[in-house]
Amino acid sequence: MSDEPQDRRVDRRAFLARMGALGAAAALGTPFAASGSDGLGSAGLRMSGLEGAEEFWQEVKRTLPTTVDSPAELTASEAAALVREGTLDPMELVEACLDRIGRWDERYLAFNTVLAEEARSSARALNVEGDDGGLLRGVPLAVKDNFYTEGVLTTANSHIFRDFRPEWDAEAVRRLRSAGGIVIGKTQMGPLATTRALTPDGQVTTVNAWTPGNPSVSPGGSSSGSATAVAARMASSSIGTQTGGSITVPALAQGLTGLKPTMGRVSLRGVIPLTYSRDHPGPIARDASDAALLLQVMAGPDPADPRTLGLPPVPDYLRAATPQGRPEGAKIRWPTRLGVLPGWDAGDDPAASGRRAFLREMEAAGVRMVEVTPSQRWNELSSSLMNAVRLPERTEPFLEYLREDVRLFGVSLNSWMQGLFLSADEYLKGQRARHALLASTLDEIFGQCDAVVQSGHVPFDMIGLPLLALPTGHRQTEDGPRPHGILLGAPPFGEERLLSIAAAWQARTEHHRVRAPVLDALREARALPPAGASRGRLSAEDVAERSQ
Amino acid sequence: MLGNPAPRFAPKESANVPHDRSHDPNATHGRAPSDEELDAYIRTRLALIGIDLSVLPEEDSDAPADRVSVHRSIRNFLRNTVPALSAYELDPQAWPPVLYPAALPPVGEERLRER
Repeated sequence: MSDEPQDRRVDRRAFLARMGALGAAAALGTPFAASGSDGLGSAGLRMSGLEGAEEFWQEVKRTLPTTVDSPAELTASEAAALVREGTLDPMELVEACLDRIGRWDERYLAFNTVLAEEARSSARALNVEGDDGGLLRGVPLAVKDNFYTEGVLTTANSHIFRDFRPEWDAEAVRRLRSAGGIVIGKTQMGPLATTRALTPDGQVTTVNAWTPGNPSVSPGGSSSGSATAVAARMASSSIGTQTGGSITVPALAQGLTGLKPTMGRVSLRGVIPLTYSRDHPGPIARDASDAALLLQVMAGPDPADPRTLGLPPVPDYLRAATPQGRPEGAKIRWPTRLGVLPGWDAGDDPAASGRRAFLREMEAAGVRMVEVTPSQRWNELSSSLMNAVRLPERTEPFLEYLREDVRLFGVSLNSWMQGLFLSADEYLKGQRARHALLASTLDEIFGQCDAVVQSGHVPFDMIGLPLLALPTGHRQTEDGPRPHGILLGAPPFGEERLLSIAAAWQARTEHHRVRAPVLDALREARALPPAGASRGRLSAEDVAERSQ
Repeated sequence: MLGNPAPRFAPKESANVPHDRSHDPNATHGRAPSDEELDAYIRTRLALIGIDLSVLPEEDSDAPADRVSVHRSIRNFLRNTVPALSAYELDPQAWPPVLYPAALPPVGEERLRER
């Protein structure tokens, strides 16, 4: 195995040329296909073949908390390590999560469907079958409600899919289950993956786990329920999708580590589409170790999704997320130049202090800082104007529903309608601009560094490059502490690089371990409004404005 | 003007295209379209592809969507996003869209072995 991360060994020009074809190639598939496929292989689902696995598990066990109130407090990696060594029964872990869902989710509204009996049955089956080396053996997972799940309602919080029970699992879900993961429920989301979690008609549902008494604080969208489920310790980890910030924004809002992988790294088969060429499935997790664990399982080729084929092999993400130099002082695993935008760390608010602390710690960990100044042209190409080019891609696969009854779209209707009014020449202009933006990013930014801080998610969403969010601290508000964090971007297949940076940071700090307030304590302190109280609503124009 | 200062393919106005359209009563002469004109365009486009907004209430802020707000949203999109995107210039030699049926060069092991 090479001692370099994959981003150093991939031909970026080939990625550039490939990206242009992805949108059209993906469109050859059927967005709501009714049949499954075999998928490909099981590489990454099990321990075998991962050179870094042993080191990873040793590090997880070395840093295990000495005491926890409940197994539900364990991270996915910690839980998996304990299940592997036989000191934690998957059933005990499942029951601990179900207990919290039963007690608290009336307040959080993180789940659309709780799969209590199915989860118990899965845990029981794992105990009968014995350890087959599955990386996620016994780990309860929350799955966003736009991933197909066999026989289970998959609504995307939309009237369109209110009765939809797929006959097969999305490829990402299939892989999670094959690795021993237990799907404990389907999570609330922005209607059709547009904004924060709402009912189809715009009523606010999921709250931020840090501010359960104040529904006006966004939980981040659109993978809101997945993030709240993890932040409130109702699931060990979760998956979401990102078209416009829907993994990284909820992760930042709730003190979690979210990873949007490179376009094509994880199959989109069985995910209700929002934008063919920009949808990315990925983990919303407690820390870098958990994100690596889930991505290791989710990533890989799928013959039914052309976006996943012809890519470099899936590397060892567990190794990447294992910090070096512990316990004395964690060091970055590979020589790394981190691009910093001018003024990125300026300011006197807690978030800016967090950014400066991040840079200081990373320098101490051996990262070299490089100032990177994107050109005016780069800023133009990644502007909200160019972002609008995504809209026809969301409209086209839903035309039959628009013809049937526009009311099916509820509060999401406006942006689906806007997509009908961009002409082909303007759409084409946008595709050319994306090509130019990707080339500019590879030259202007990644010609100088291996990873770069970002102040927003849009550019990397537009061009399919990996993006990671992590917490860097907390600030006091009238609602209590709330997390803040940063975004890091990387070149094609730079997930290892991002995980290695996040792992080094999290080995040197404790921000990712700070827990959202325990709901029972808030309830006792009467810091919560009545459970059934209105949480407000967003209008169709609000949703279009905030749409991902 | 945003974008690359590369030369255009040809002059904006060809000798074969009449410059003076003052005889045409429907010409806008660069005037921004009115709400009524945009609404007519919106209705026409929707009718062409079979989408019916009449099932929505005319105007109801309590409804998830209504006709007035849908039209307003589309008019804003047409006035702001569409012209700006249309006007953005990119060098046609430098940035082909590479849409299908472009080749899909491998970026995997085959390519790595070449390096």
